[in-house]
Amino acid sequence: MNSPALRLTQIHKSFDKPVITGLDLTVEAGQLYALLGPNGAGKTTTLRMAVGLTEPDQGSVEIYGIDAVRDSLAAKAITAWLPDEPMLYDKLTPSEYLGFVAGLWRIPPRDAAPEAERLLRWLELWDVRDTRCEGFSRGMKQKVALAGAMIHDPRLLILDEPLTGLDAAMARSVKDALRAAVDQGKTVIVTTHILEVAERLADRIGIIAGGKLLAEGTLAELRAHAGAEDDTLEDTFIRLTSAPAAIPA
Amino acid sequence: MRLLPPGSFVWLVLHELRLSRRPAGKRSRWLMAIGGALVLGWIALGVWIGSLLAHVPIVPGAMGMAGAALGAILLFTFMTTQSILGSQRTLYEAGDLDLLFSAPIPPRTVMRAKLVGIAASVVLTFAIIVLPVALPLAWFGHPQLFGIPALLLALALTAACFGLAITLILARLAGPRAARTVGQIVAALSGGSVFVASQYFSNGSPRGQRGAMMEALFEKMVASGFGTHGVGALPGLAAFGDPFAVTALLAGSLLLFILTTRGLQSLFLSGYRAGGMKLSRPKSSNRSVARHFHNRLFGAVFAKEWRLMARDPALAFQVVLRLIYLAPLFFIIMRQGDDDHVLIAPSLAFSSVLIAGQIVSSLVWLAVSGEDTPDLIKVAPVRKNEIDTAKLSAALVMSAPLALLVPLGMAWTTSIPAALFTLAVTGVAGWMSGMIEVTFAKPAPRSTFRKRRGGGSFVRGIAQFAVTIFFGAIAAGGVWLLTTTFQLPHLPTHL
Repeated sequence: MNSPALRLTQIHKSFDKPVITGLDLTVEAGQLYALLGPNGAGKTTTLRMAVGLTEPDQGSVEIYGIDAVRDSLAAKAITAWLPDEPMLYDKLTPSEYLGFVAGLWRIPPRDAAPEAERLLRWLELWDVRDTRCEGFSRGMKQKVALAGAMIHDPRLLILDEPLTGLDAAMARSVKDALRAAVDQGKTVIVTTHILEVAERLADRIGIIAGGKLLAEGTLAELRAHAGAEDDTLEDTFIRLTSAPAAIPA
Repeated sequence: MRLLPPGSFVWLVLHELRLSRRPAGKRSRWLMAIGGALVLGWIALGVWIGSLLAHVPIVPGAMGMAGAALGAILLFTFMTTQSILGSQRTLYEAGDLDLLFSAPIPPRTVMRAKLVGIAASVVLTFAIIVLPVALPLAWFGHPQLFGIPALLLALALTAACFGLAITLILARLAGPRAARTVGQIVAALSGGSVFVASQYFSNGSPRGQRGAMMEALFEKMVASGFGTHGVGALPGLAAFGDPFAVTALLAGSLLLFILTTRGLQSLFLSGYRAGGMKLSRPKSSNRSVARHFHNRLFGAVFAKEWRLMARDPALAFQVVLRLIYLAPLFFIIMRQGDDDHVLIAPSLAFSSVLIAGQIVSSLVWLAVSGEDTPDLIKVAPVRKNEIDTAKLSAALVMSAPLALLVPLGMAWTTSIPAALFTLAVTGVAGWMSGMIEVTFAKPAPRSTFRKRRGGGSFVRGIAQFAVTIFFGAIAAGGVWLLTTTFQLPHLPTHL
């Protein structure tokens, strides 16, 4: 039996107060999974625990059957993390940045260089490959970081708000690329506040609030769970998380 | 502030003052308490000195006038330096100009408020140093010294105008990035050069001549009429309360302030716009990307650390500048040579260890604590000790050219065995110093390098000091043994 791409079991995490309380989440391999939730729901903390940036107080994290706490290097080798704030060095150029990231993942230059060129061309960064990132717009920085996340051909991509700062055409291109990655058998987990993205793109959607997984499934399953089969995802999301605040007159 | 009309000039100035008194980042209560106690102690000392000198006549003689003029020049230099840094912060770092220029406030009002904010920040810094002594002196029987606060104010306002003008002209001529770099280097240089000069006069001059050199220089200035004639006399006269001089200096600085805000308004606006634009020059290239990829982790880490250092000249300069603070040791060593030539080689061996320790710890701090994207390193499939070793090795390689200087000099002037021994101990000491830095590493922005904030800084400092002294002593002792027991040639006496 194939291992799921990500399995979080009974995860607890507190900072000043409990943030995640008994979270169970399983993402099967070869899926595009959207993790939704209101601000402060614990989405980013959950993903940071999945990639080994934050240690859970309790519970286990498995990536493709690998215990990500005990054998973190093996888990990291097949995982990519793209946070909402791009992890970049302003004084490096995109090609130098990719060279450094490939070095960290120990990708031989003969494999990494052509892949870097492909990514830079695809993300329309080829013409600025030797320009320092410090003058780039937010969207361009996001694209450089995305190239960095993909250069080691990860089996599991975990992306926190990956479309932030991208223009419409590039956002479309990234969505297509994520879909293509899933079609190739990879697994993609994204968080997003743009519910339309989750609605159109995701195979399964998880809704998290107050550190717990409230509901999970396909869009149809979520609608059924919320008891309103004709709702949009937005309606379902609001119904499941909380009543919206009344707009003051 | 609540009583003032919102958006008015004074309201904006008070807003600037409030911001300038709030340092970036958290400041520990202990540090605040220690700082407060020091200021109170300084004030108490000033009051004591004031009461002590209450009946001692203070008259503006030639010496006093020259001293006041010299002090004013020194203060003005420091104030201009601070103003350059303040102008850079205003234009490129504060990030509030977008808000201010988008508000319905005339741009000139914004610029005036910013300039007053810079001057106020500068004057407050120096007021803490000067006024706790000057004001009690004035209060206890020397009311003419109430001219000193006015002099400080005029100097600060003039320095703020100069600082802003220098920054804007540099930005116009060389672009915002070069303006920042040059400004930071100029600021560091001016501080460093004053320190080296003071060390030379206190330690560097031959024995018995230290005080005499200063005195002779000062007497020469007095004899030439420095600070007693024409415009040069104004600072002295103002400091000693001459109403005309005080009025002339304040009016002059105010006029300069008005002329600066009128004359430099368009430069200020273009500087602000350029600051928001791309900092990097787009580079077209036909070269492939393959040259940036490495077979080993060390290659990737070294290339990254080297580029980050090479592309931040102001930071690299600060690293080298730390060596300037070893100047007292250097001057003491050179003076030892006057007494006993046998001690020169061991002293040089000791300073070699000191230099290596300083540079390696600085570079390791930048590579490990000053890592811009610690999360990228954490999510990579690399063990922490591997990456730390790679960074430490990169720092050692980068510091090698400077750390090699003394051993190379010793090989040339003393003996190759002594130089090799010094080199070996220097290498070990550099490694140990770097390991201490790695052990106490705590993420911090690279821009805070000068202050080196971070956990364990006290323990780290003590540990590095102990390592330096220990290995420095080994190096010095070993070289002394090599040069005396085995009768190796000593340094030539002319050194």
